[in-house]
Amino acid sequence: MNLYRYGESGIRIVFGNSIDLETHEKVRRYYYFLKSLRLKEFIDIIPSFNSCVINFNNNAISFENIVSLITERHGELDAIEIPQPAQHEIPVMYGGECGPDMEFVCEYSGLSDNEVIEIHTSVIYTVFTVGFMPGFPYLGTLDKRLYAPRLETPRLKVPEGSVGLAQLQTGIYPFESPAGWRIIGKTDKKLFDYKKEPYSLLQIGDKVRFIKI
Amino acid sequence: MIEIFNPGWLAIIVDNGRYGYGDIGVPPSSALDNFAYSTLNYLTGNHTDSPVMEVMGSGFAIMFDVDITCAITGAKVSAYINDVPLKSWTSFKATKGSILRVKEVTEGLRYYVGFSGDMVLEKAIESFSTNLECRFGGYKGRPLMKGDIIEFNNVRIEEENAVAERYIPSMNPPHLLRTTEGPEIGHFTPNSLEDFLKNHSENTYSVSTKLNRTGIRLEGKPLLFREKVDKSIISEGILPGTIQIPGDGQPIIMLYERSVGGYARIATVARIDIDMLAHLKPKDKVLFQMLGIEQAETLWVKKKRKYLMTYFG
Repeated sequence: MNLYRYGESGIRIVFGNSIDLETHEKVRRYYYFLKSLRLKEFIDIIPSFNSCVINFNNNAISFENIVSLITERHGELDAIEIPQPAQHEIPVMYGGECGPDMEFVCEYSGLSDNEVIEIHTSVIYTVFTVGFMPGFPYLGTLDKRLYAPRLETPRLKVPEGSVGLAQLQTGIYPFESPAGWRIIGKTDKKLFDYKKEPYSLLQIGDKVRFIKI
Repeated sequence: MIEIFNPGWLAIIVDNGRYGYGDIGVPPSSALDNFAYSTLNYLTGNHTDSPVMEVMGSGFAIMFDVDITCAITGAKVSAYINDVPLKSWTSFKATKGSILRVKEVTEGLRYYVGFSGDMVLEKAIESFSTNLECRFGGYKGRPLMKGDIIEFNNVRIEEENAVAERYIPSMNPPHLLRTTEGPEIGHFTPNSLEDFLKNHSENTYSVSTKLNRTGIRLEGKPLLFREKVDKSIISEGILPGTIQIPGDGQPIIMLYERSVGGYARIATVARIDIDMLAHLKPKDKVLFQMLGIEQAETLWVKKKRKYLMTYFG
């Protein structure tokens, strides 16, 4: 783990250089550790694939002091309880109007659409991080056979619930949005609801399986 | 109540922002010009985290159906109540039946309109700010439109109050943006970095038309990545003011609508200049300067003191 300053009010805590489950577990544990500190000087904690970024209130505390507050409590890191990941099933309508890039993915991979669906639904994915937009899960790891590049020119709009893939990741757009990923299907499951806590259906570390409907 | 006659180009409800939900991808969506925002609440005698309107463009017009104190801060505007000209950064009394119009924005881009009273709005995820992309918060999750009506509680007439001219920031281009090093500053060639900070006329950046509350794209001499360096990074948390460099080498200054990003972060706009980002408009020239982190902190502490002077003389 390495700790860096990021601007006047940011701290980056970096756990590795790649997207893998081992790094993910370290990030996730550290994220829950940071939360458990309940420091009022933390404005936001943003965990992602290989790091936690903290936005702290530099009107209230200096970088040096907040770093020593964190490091003093490092002994607690292994002892903190982290929640069991929740398991989710996401029903997906694949192809056709719901998946405008299915054809491209088939062509690029040399697979039939049934094979693409079979492979996409056979993996239990991990939510590596939630970001880009509220509730958007970056799910991994996608089977290498489904590897597809991002669109060169992103679509200006895909509908809410669009299921896409790019490189070795797959994800779901919780809102109508511009999108650079290849869209292969659509779900009716609500990914984000600002009226109901915990707001995001998926949290970092959760497990996701897609079901063909 | 007030009625929106004309929302200008874009009028939305904002407040201090939505913090604490970066782990589920929820961005702050706060007012972009924090000084203008908090000064407005000071002028109207509201709580420091009260919702206000953030407006762009001329034509903005509202009709008052109540006697209330009102103020405008942020971009400098020529505004009128009925046909009487008003001063920006100064509170004034609006009477029932009168109409406030903003005829022209003379300096800066975004201005803030606030009232001595509590707009009747619902909080979404602990904030009144509008998340335009996801359509929640603010006024029904959308920009204000002609015919919208906003009700008030706790309407008051406050003593008229003004911000001294010397405390009102200049918003004229060229905008000097002081920055601190970003996490991926080492991804760029030394020559390219030197150019980025040179501020010669042939190297200045200008603001493109691609600009919203998520980010501001600049145009200028493209930054060059060093050999053997990936042009994108593993997506990571980003903070407001971060300058990202995508593959084409043209800087994007991130604002308050994103919490993760996957482009190399060359620099972060120092806190002292971050409010200025609200006022960058297409074609404006932008100059960069790199500060050490301690320099940036010192400047911010000084500015904070000046903020306090604004409020308490």
